[in-house]
Amino acid sequence: MAFVLTLAGSALAVALELLEALAIVLAVGASRRWRDAVVGAAGAVAACALLALLLGPLLVARVAVEPLRLVVGAALLLFGLEWLRKGILRLAGRRARSSSWREYTEERRALDREPAAATGPDWAARTVAFKGVLLEGVEVILIVTALAGPPANRLPALLGAGAAVVVTVAMGAILHRPLRHLPETELKLAVGIVLTSFGAFFAGEGLGVRWPLGDAALLAIVAVFGVAAWAMAAGLGRQDRRTAAEPAP
Amino acid sequence: MSVLRALRRMILGETWTLPVGVAAVLGCGAVLRAVSGPEGWWHSAGGPVMVVLLLVLLAVSLRRGGR
Repeated sequence: MAFVLTLAGSALAVALELLEALAIVLAVGASRRWRDAVVGAAGAVAACALLALLLGPLLVARVAVEPLRLVVGAALLLFGLEWLRKGILRLAGRRARSSSWREYTEERRALDREPAAATGPDWAARTVAFKGVLLEGVEVILIVTALAGPPANRLPALLGAGAAVVVTVAMGAILHRPLRHLPETELKLAVGIVLTSFGAFFAGEGLGVRWPLGDAALLAIVAVFGVAAWAMAAGLGRQDRRTAAEPAP
Repeated sequence: MSVLRALRRMILGETWTLPVGVAAVLGCGAVLRAVSGPEGWWHSAGGPVMVVLLLVLLAVSLRRGGR
């Protein structure tokens, strides 16, 4: 069960982050030159690969098992709770829904307003692609490193991440634009629930907790956070509707 | 600077409530573990306690950064 949840959580988290990076690279390619978009993105991928090579072995080799679970749990809680908080606010209507398509069109509009270099490398375009991929890529590296921290999780976390990279890059290469009707808000909320659940599970183990039912406890934690997220979003939505219906003083 | 700011926001989140709250929940867990002793109640019941504390933290973060 932990294998499937880790695989799904890693694949979804990586795919959603890469969709955002892809939107920026595609916008740069479509507005400027594809060569500059690819060069900028490739530079960021190299920087992220270096970070992964440094971070993974450092975390696994230098930290003992129990503190490692606590460190991994804390990292997953930080990412997961933030994704969960934003997801609840989006579902409640207090934030704009997540959309790679919107990012793509906004980035294209911004790039179209700036003049492109007539000859030679377009450094402005390369920088936009580099920054977009770097920021999303660092988050991908941190999430996958945290998920792959405990030895039993390594294979599913890396498999999920690898599959997500292949699918997302292939989609970008074939379509040349982001998907328009993907329920990104709901998917990000689901990733937030999975990351938070793993975070609670590992942090608990790092603090000496013996979870009832072993790994199966993860399912119960996922259910608790899922129901709580839905209830909180519904509660915020109800509160806003009541406020809107009240007559102004 | 904007990249560094974005990296900080990405790792620690948009508000300080979550990083401070996560540290508080984990610190609270460590204290309860020490208080309950080597074979105390924390080892069997600490998990649900942590989940409840995290739900409270999530609710607080929604109230503080919800608008």
